[in-house]
Amino acid sequence: MKTQSFYAKRIQPIVFMAVVTIICIILTAALHLYTYDQVKENEQFFVWRSVLDSAAISHDGTPSDVVKLFDQYVTEDGDMYVVNTPEHGRRFVLEQTGPGLWGPITVMIGFEDDKTTLSGVSIVSQTETPGLGARIEEPWFTAQFAGKKGPSFKLVEEGTASQPKEIDSITGATRTSDAFKSIIEKAFVLAGGL
Amino acid sequence: MAKSNLKKTFLTPLGKDNPVFVQILGICSTLAVTNKLDNTLVMTLGVMFTTALSSWTISLLRNWIPSRVRMMVETLVIATYVIIVDIALKAYYPEMWKQLGPYVGLIITNCIVMGRIEAFALQNKPLPSLIDGLASGMGYAYVLLIIAFFRELLGTGTLWGYQVLGSWWTSWAIMIMPPGGFFMLAIFIWIVRENFIKEETNE
Repeated sequence: MKTQSFYAKRIQPIVFMAVVTIICIILTAALHLYTYDQVKENEQFFVWRSVLDSAAISHDGTPSDVVKLFDQYVTEDGDMYVVNTPEHGRRFVLEQTGPGLWGPITVMIGFEDDKTTLSGVSIVSQTETPGLGARIEEPWFTAQFAGKKGPSFKLVEEGTASQPKEIDSITGATRTSDAFKSIIEKAFVLAGGL
Repeated sequence: MAKSNLKKTFLTPLGKDNPVFVQILGICSTLAVTNKLDNTLVMTLGVMFTTALSSWTISLLRNWIPSRVRMMVETLVIATYVIIVDIALKAYYPEMWKQLGPYVGLIITNCIVMGRIEAFALQNKPLPSLIDGLASGMGYAYVLLIIAFFRELLGTGTLWGYQVLGSWWTSWAIMIMPPGGFFMLAIFIWIVRENFIKEETNE
């Protein structure tokens, strides 16, 4: 068995590793910088779209439309977005984060001017079970909140909510439904104090 | 000769040496992302990209990599390609990036990627390595897509997000949860091994 020289045994692996590392870092860093603006734009787009959705302002889903409507109607006031449109009057949107079953759920919650009626809700981020708890993102679930009156709600079986204080829960995702309900209720407390 | 070898390199991972149902590798992501077809497609494209290019890169470097830091270099190269996929998705397909969550990053630990590098790319020229990596990714991809097809169909009654089964269909919630992945994968492996794979009879 041939013995390796000191260089081959000790120095070369380090030098090689360093060179490969530097090349890899340069590649990924370059890509990161190249896409940085796009990524920031996407993040902002998601937040702004949620604000419009929860204030029940219709848009066509394209970034340009969302940006245009947001600039036109929305002003930021501390933690709150104030949405002022000729047809709906004044609406408030709050961002609220609370614990879900697996991780935090962040929701935009829109209120009518009276602060006791919901204009809509929109999920910003969630990590619930796909196909079960994650169904809180589905339109049928979020749409039911429009017009509901707070500050407290009652969860009923999926597809049976009929009263202003009743919310359809999600079958198979009781804990997520509970968590979501308490996030919404907490938002009423915050909204009342504003 | 070279041509037929390349063809063999390409076909083996698709059939008799398939990474999923023969080598039983990459099971973690098989269970995690196969509850919807569109998730699965994007995930498997990411894996194909990573296996192909990391095998190719390691094969290019194979004569210079000092053997004692071999695995570190492999991991580094794999991680670089995976981060490229992750950043690209984040910038240009953010809705999908949000849905896949941590699973894109977890391609780094997908055994298929490093398995192919260790088993193939370190001993072979760049072109066969690229083909081997790509074919392994494809072998992984079609198995996942088949599983996703049944999980999405039975679990939600949809395909590609479109409702295909009528309202009479009661969704099997278990299909879209992790246990559904285990069941479908096991059934799939069972059917394939029973019918298509000739087992060596002598132990």
